[in-house]
Amino acid sequence: MGFAFDLLLALALLWSAWRTLATPDIFRAVILFIVFGLLLTLVWSRLAAPDIALAEAAIGAGLTGALLLDAIGVLRGRKKS
Amino acid sequence: MIDLASDALLLVGAFFYFAGTVGLVRFPDVYTRLHALAKADNLGLGCVLAGLALQAESLAAALKLLLIWPLVLAASAAVSYAIAHRAEALGVAPWRREEK
Amino acid sequence: MSTMSLGVALFLLVNLVAALVTAARGPTPADRMLTALLFGSTGVGVLALLAHAMGIPALVDVALTLALLAAIAGIAFARRAWHGGHEESPDD
Repeated sequence: MGFAFDLLLALALLWSAWRTLATPDIFRAVILFIVFGLLLTLVWSRLAAPDIALAEAAIGAGLTGALLLDAIGVLRGRKKS
Repeated sequence: MIDLASDALLLVGAFFYFAGTVGLVRFPDVYTRLHALAKADNLGLGCVLAGLALQAESLAAALKLLLIWPLVLAASAAVSYAIAHRAEALGVAPWRREEK
Repeated sequence: MSTMSLGVALFLLVNLVAALVTAARGPTPADRMLTALLFGSTGVGVLALLAHAMGIPALVDVALTLALLAAIAGIAFARRAWHGGHEESPDD
């Protein structure tokens, strides 16, 4: 059961990474980047590295995601005006 | 007995998570999806955490597990309110059944 | 009993993959953001289950951080990023 978990996790990580890079819509790419960060958190914790998982959850998924969303808001607002 | 109750709670939690995911995939608009996500998923999380807390080694560990739940409830309520408020301010119309 | 918690974690991961495959569908940006919020709330459950199954209590702290920062991303989306209702999307 552990092997199935790891295999599915690795496949989902690679799939989300590829989708993040290949998506033309920038907002969707940011969403997929957040999803990728969450999956990477699960990978680190599955590798028994809770400290790196903590850093990834805080920096990778949370703060960078919020900053990128904020940047999109600023860019869209500037385009509109 | 405690193991049995814990397993039952874990299974109930898994069912509610499943319901939340199905709702997110199948529901038609923002408001109904928020409804599925905010309620079903958090109930599933509460059941899973209660099931895990029954098996915790110490009282402190069990209380820490159970403390995650109010935090997630408050955060999810705030986020759901913010998104629904913004959707209404932007004029996203609620979904209605099409009349034939 | 760690078989049970690992099995439930596997089931939740299958849920996540199903949400990922159909991920980021329209019609509004909020529908796409909700996928990220689903990953946040399900990820907290998976991390708590993994903490029990693998015997690493520190993973509970990771779950707490994840819960907090997923909420911050959601608030940042609602307050700062969402300006228009329907946006152009080429392949919906």
